[in-house]
Amino acid sequence: MQGIIPDVKVIKLAEVPAEKAIAEAIKVLTEGGLIIFPTETVYGAGVDATQTAAVAKLLAYKTRREGKPLSIAVTGQEMAAKYVDLNEQAKKLYQRFLPGPVTVVSQGKGKVAAGVQSEFGTLGVRVPDYELALKLIEQYGRPLTATSANASGRKRPYSINDILTGISAKQKSLIDLVLDAGELPKNEPSTVIDTTLSTPTTLRAGSVQLSAGEEATTTLNSASEAETKKIAGTLLLKNWTEIKERGLVIGLDGALGTGKTIFAKGVAEFLQITDEITSPTYSYIEEYQFKRHGVTGQLYHLDLWKIESAAEAERLEIEGLLRPNSVVIIEWWQPVAAYLLKLVATQHPQLLHVLFTELDEHSRQLSITEPSTNIPTPAP
Amino acid sequence: MTTNSTSTPLILAIDTSCDDTSAAVTAGVTVLSNIIASQTQLHQPYGGVFPTVAKQAHRENIDRTIAVALQRAGLEWSEVAALAVTQGPGLAPALEVGINKAKELAKLHQLPLIAVNHIEAHALSALAEPRRRQQQTATTPHHLATSWQQKLTQQQLPALAIVVSGGHTEFIKVIKPGKYERLGWTIDDAAGEALDKVGRMLDLGYPAGPVLEKFAKSGDAHRFNVPLPMTEQKDYQMSFSGLKTWARNTLESHEAKFGLNQQDIYDFAASFQRGVFRHICYKLNKLIADQKPTDQFREVWLGGGVAANMELRRMIRETLRTANGGLKLHVPYTKRLTMDNAAMIGVTAGYQFLQKDFVTDEAALERRPRWAVTA
Repeated sequence: MQGIIPDVKVIKLAEVPAEKAIAEAIKVLTEGGLIIFPTETVYGAGVDATQTAAVAKLLAYKTRREGKPLSIAVTGQEMAAKYVDLNEQAKKLYQRFLPGPVTVVSQGKGKVAAGVQSEFGTLGVRVPDYELALKLIEQYGRPLTATSANASGRKRPYSINDILTGISAKQKSLIDLVLDAGELPKNEPSTVIDTTLSTPTTLRAGSVQLSAGEEATTTLNSASEAETKKIAGTLLLKNWTEIKERGLVIGLDGALGTGKTIFAKGVAEFLQITDEITSPTYSYIEEYQFKRHGVTGQLYHLDLWKIESAAEAERLEIEGLLRPNSVVIIEWWQPVAAYLLKLVATQHPQLLHVLFTELDEHSRQLSITEPSTNIPTPAP
Repeated sequence: MTTNSTSTPLILAIDTSCDDTSAAVTAGVTVLSNIIASQTQLHQPYGGVFPTVAKQAHRENIDRTIAVALQRAGLEWSEVAALAVTQGPGLAPALEVGINKAKELAKLHQLPLIAVNHIEAHALSALAEPRRRQQQTATTPHHLATSWQQKLTQQQLPALAIVVSGGHTEFIKVIKPGKYERLGWTIDDAAGEALDKVGRMLDLGYPAGPVLEKFAKSGDAHRFNVPLPMTEQKDYQMSFSGLKTWARNTLESHEAKFGLNQQDIYDFAASFQRGVFRHICYKLNKLIADQKPTDQFREVWLGGGVAANMELRRMIRETLRTANGGLKLHVPYTKRLTMDNAAMIGVTAGYQFLQKDFVTDEAALERRPRWAVTA
């Protein structure tokens, strides 16, 4: 009916028993409707996250989302696991922070309606620390979308009035039910933590498998940064002919803060590079010129901490760096070792691998191997 | 409309130094548009590949990013006076994409090309200004811009630029735009990297720096005693890798003894963040105290990704209040300018335009992955 704006149906939670409010909300959600519900942060706009038409309705309500993914509200880790893959980091976050104002982003399982997961297939999950919301989701049995109830770009909704004054008549008409808990305390919106880029802190014990063959490992202990640098220099000296003829690749592994960059500094000192060797974590590759004993060449210092797969590593064009008179140091070698070994096998530089283990606050153990690049070919 | 001598030249700038593809239009120090390609802005499917590593994503994004930058600025190619591009520092294959595109466009539209240093651009980013509202009278956007000549009458030099990001932590003396002296820098990790990595140790995902900042608000910054590095050294160099090692040792032993609960994480986030910033502020204080009165900085400019952190700003302001009778801190007017963005490249190029600092042999222009800011 033209010109008539339907009144939004509001249930005042202070006046109605929770069970009755929940029953009403479930009725609306089942039919693909949109509810406004309170959480410990702000009012949320909720629809059944598994119903395509309901999600489309929510997206129409939110406007100007520009492809931003939605997140879902569930009752806990067990329910979350049905919709996302939880890695170790995510599980720790659930245990420590949920229910609470934290949204944990994980890889989605494609079990929600289109438009809820991001286009990379990730999905944010929240467990509201608010009894009514938790009871509602528990009884409904399916996740709700958990986006704030304001139209995009408008004021944070701490009261129903904050919401209704900021939206158009058309948006208002999309709301099927409001669960009004009055003025909410002014808590910040939830903190979003993305666990999908699995940057490592350490290698799992026993996970270092460099190649198919057994090779000799030299184990050296270093009591100081100076000693680590000296070991690096000694290794380069031993391989000086190989550097000139084929180039040298040194793979480095070890937990955060065990001295991989110190080793790289030792290599640079040996090569008489005067530039400061700084961490290449963000730029992936730092490049330096060296000149030593009449040999001119390049030192490439790589850090693959942010790299997750061979496909990503490929974009760094590492193969172009493997050549005579070139020294390539690669930190966080192990996660993409198979790919790197293939490069080494085709370009034939000399290859060394150093694993750093902490002995105490200052001393480290360096396990040095010369991995074989004979990758077993898979059986036909 | 073509640019005339009385108006500020319009510059189309491109930055592909690392993960983000960015294009912007600037006039003098005024930002007319600043597009940073991400899924939310361009809504480009990547076929399931996360665009962490740049080259291919840059190639996929760059034309669209440039088109949107021009469109948001409300401009046609015929109005652009010059192209600007980041030449370094950055990731070589990523830089190459931007440089090749800039060369191609310079040739196509017969425009001069300006090569810009990304760190210099961060150092100057606090001077950028937002586009002013269109006047009632019909004017073209560049009439509403603040030129470099105007801007420099408002600033007092020499200034100290502090660049704090995931990849850099530097103190740069700005004698005037284009003339710099690097006074101090990190000898290992950057401050932003230390925050991200320690955030990762606390299982706060990636990037963890912004989560650390939020969690720090609920924590006690004095609960854990973070060491202050490099106090023996008389220079202004910084080092964050020792803090990272300290964090790992402290967390491991704390977790083994008591476990790690929510409040521990809040407290550690607050303590560690303060420890990182305290190190920067300690060296900053020393740097200012050591200046001869005649050479003293007149103002301080902050740039880089960590410049968005409100606690860093607060601690620097605190340091400046007590140092040398009070120095004013200038920060970028929007968070966008603290990211890797092309607007700061365009603003920097605006000054180079005045100096006629154009690339003379465009075909020979090569990326400079390691390019320190120098005089």
